[in-house]
Amino acid sequence: MSSFTIKHVDQIFGSGTAQVQALHDVNFEADAGTLSLIMGPSGSGKSTFLTIAGGLLTPTAGTVTLNGISYTERSKKERDALRLDAIGFVLQAYHLLPYLTVADQFRLVDKVKPSGNLSPEALEDVLQTLGIQALTNKYPGELSGGQQQRVAIARALYPDPAIILADEPTAALDSARVAVVGALFKTLATKHNKAVVIVTHDLRLREFADRTYQMEDGRLSEAS
Amino acid sequence: MFLALKEIKKEKLRSGLIVFMITLIGYLILILTSLALGLAQQNTDAIYSWDAARITLNADANTDMRQSFLSSKQIGPLSKNEAVIGETSVVAKAKGQKQQSAVFLGLKASQYIAKDLKLTAGRNVKKATEVVVDTAFKTAGYKLGDKLTLNDDKQKYTIVGFTAKAKLNIAPIVYGRLATWRRLRGIVAGPVASAIISKDAKYQNTRSGVKTYKTQQVIEKLPGYSAQNATFVLMIGFLMVISLIIIAVFLYILTMQKLPNYAVLRAQGIPSRVLVGATVAQSLLLVLSGMIIAAGLTALTALAMPAAVPMAFDIPILAAVGAGLLVMALLGSLIPIKSVLSVDPVSVIGG
Repeated sequence: MSSFTIKHVDQIFGSGTAQVQALHDVNFEADAGTLSLIMGPSGSGKSTFLTIAGGLLTPTAGTVTLNGISYTERSKKERDALRLDAIGFVLQAYHLLPYLTVADQFRLVDKVKPSGNLSPEALEDVLQTLGIQALTNKYPGELSGGQQQRVAIARALYPDPAIILADEPTAALDSARVAVVGALFKTLATKHNKAVVIVTHDLRLREFADRTYQMEDGRLSEAS
Repeated sequence: MFLALKEIKKEKLRSGLIVFMITLIGYLILILTSLALGLAQQNTDAIYSWDAARITLNADANTDMRQSFLSSKQIGPLSKNEAVIGETSVVAKAKGQKQQSAVFLGLKASQYIAKDLKLTAGRNVKKATEVVVDTAFKTAGYKLGDKLTLNDDKQKYTIVGFTAKAKLNIAPIVYGRLATWRRLRGIVAGPVASAIISKDAKYQNTRSGVKTYKTQQVIEKLPGYSAQNATFVLMIGFLMVISLIIIAVFLYILTMQKLPNYAVLRAQGIPSRVLVGATVAQSLLLVLSGMIIAAGLTALTALAMPAAVPMAFDIPILAAVGAGLLVMALLGSLIPIKSVLSVDPVSVIGG
C-alpha cells in the first residue's frame, strides 16, 4: 500500500458564474523512498494540488490519506499537528525566521514538538549531506540563497516527516544548481526513505524522478 | 518566550529603541505619580497625622476649615477622642530669616492632638507665646528659640519644637494655642474654634448650625486639592494611552514584517498560539525592561531630589502604575495578534 494517496479529489472555488473547478477527479500515489514530480504550466492546478496534499485546504470532494490515515476530515488544529508531525514543506520562498540561527530553527521545532524529531546524530548526518554543518550558528541573513534553501530542506526533514512536499524548489536556478538540488531531493527520498513530491514546471528535474505526473487544466495524469 | 527572546537578542537596536521609548514614558509616569503623591500628601499630612475619622464644621462653611467658626455651645462636651482646632493662614517671619507662608493651628493643650504631637526636636507648647512648627521651617533655616511674628501681630512667638509631616494644603503648620488663634483672627467673643476633629468614626455632632463630615469629604474640599489630583490623573492617564499606542504601533509594524515568515511556520504546522505567545511575550518583555530601567532612574532621581520638592515614592502605588503599563502592553499587543491569527498558510504556496 502506498504511503501517500489522493483519491478522486475535486476542488471547486467560488460559486455561480464565478465558480472555478481547479481540480478534477485527481488521483495520486507516492511511496516512501520515491521522488514524484507534478509538472504543468502556471494555472494548471499544481499549487491547489500541493495545498490539498499538505493539509492546508480541505478538498471539495475526495480523500487524502497518509500512512492509512485520512486527514481531509480532520479539524484545522488536527491538521496543524499532522503537518508538524508528518509533512515536511520546502517552499519556493524559504522564509526562514531572520532572528533565529540555523540551530535555533530546529530548536523551535523542539519547543513545539518535543519528541519524534531527528536525533542530534541524525540531524548532523542531514546537515552533512546538505553541506551546511558549519553554518549552524549563522543567521539566515548571513547565508546565500542556496544555503538558505538547504537549511529550509533540513528544517523540513527535522520533524522526521513521512512525506516531503516541495514547491518549485529550482525556480530561478541555473542548470548546474538544478542538478545539485535534484540530486539532493533524490537523496532525501532514497537515503531517508521519504516520499518526496515536487511540484514544478522545471523539465530539468525529470531525470531525478521515479514517477512524473502532468497537471493540465486541473486534471492529473501520469506522464510516460 | 523562545521566539520573543531570540528576536530581541537579534534585533538589539530595534528592541533597544522601543525599550528606550518605554523607559522615557515609564520614567515620566513614575515621576508624575511621585509628584502627584507628594503634593497630595502635603495637602493632607496633618489631617492624617491626627488620625481623623470625622470632622465637624460650621454648616455654612462650605466644608472649609478656614471658613468655619464654632461656638462653645456648638462644640458641646467632647470625649478623649475629640479635639478642637482653630485654623487660619499666616505669614511667619523671624529676624534674619525669609518670610514663610504657613497655616496656624490653635490647639487645646489637654486634648489629644496637642498631647500626641510627635516632635523631631524640642518640646511641646507650654504657653500661648510658644509654637511648634513643621520641619519645613528648619529646612528654611529657622532654629529652636527663634522668635516669630505672625502676620502684623506685634506679639513674638518662640519656636520650642519641630514636628514632621505637619502640612496642610501644602503650607507648613505653626502649632500654638487656641487663644493665639482667637488673637490672630481678632475674635473677642463668640467662636472658640474652627473645627472638631474626632478619631471616632461614629462621632456625630447634631447641634444646630454644625455638620459632621467624613475626613475624605473635607480633604476633597481642600482648596485646589481635587483639581490638582484630577490634573495629575489625567496626565498619567494620557501617558498610559500614549504608551499603549506606541507599543501597539511598534508591535504592529514588527509583526506585519514577520507575517510571511509566520505564514510559512503555520504551513509547517506551528500552532497559532506559539506565534501569538511570541507577540505577547515580546510586548511584555520590552515593556518590563523599559519599566525596570525607568524604576531605576526614578530611584536615582529620588536620591538626588532636594527635600523641598514635593515628591513621594510610595512603592505599592508606583508598582501598581508599573502593572498598569504592563496591562497597556498586553492591550497594545492585541492589535498585531489579530493579524497573526489571520495569517493564511495557503498564501505561501505557489511562490
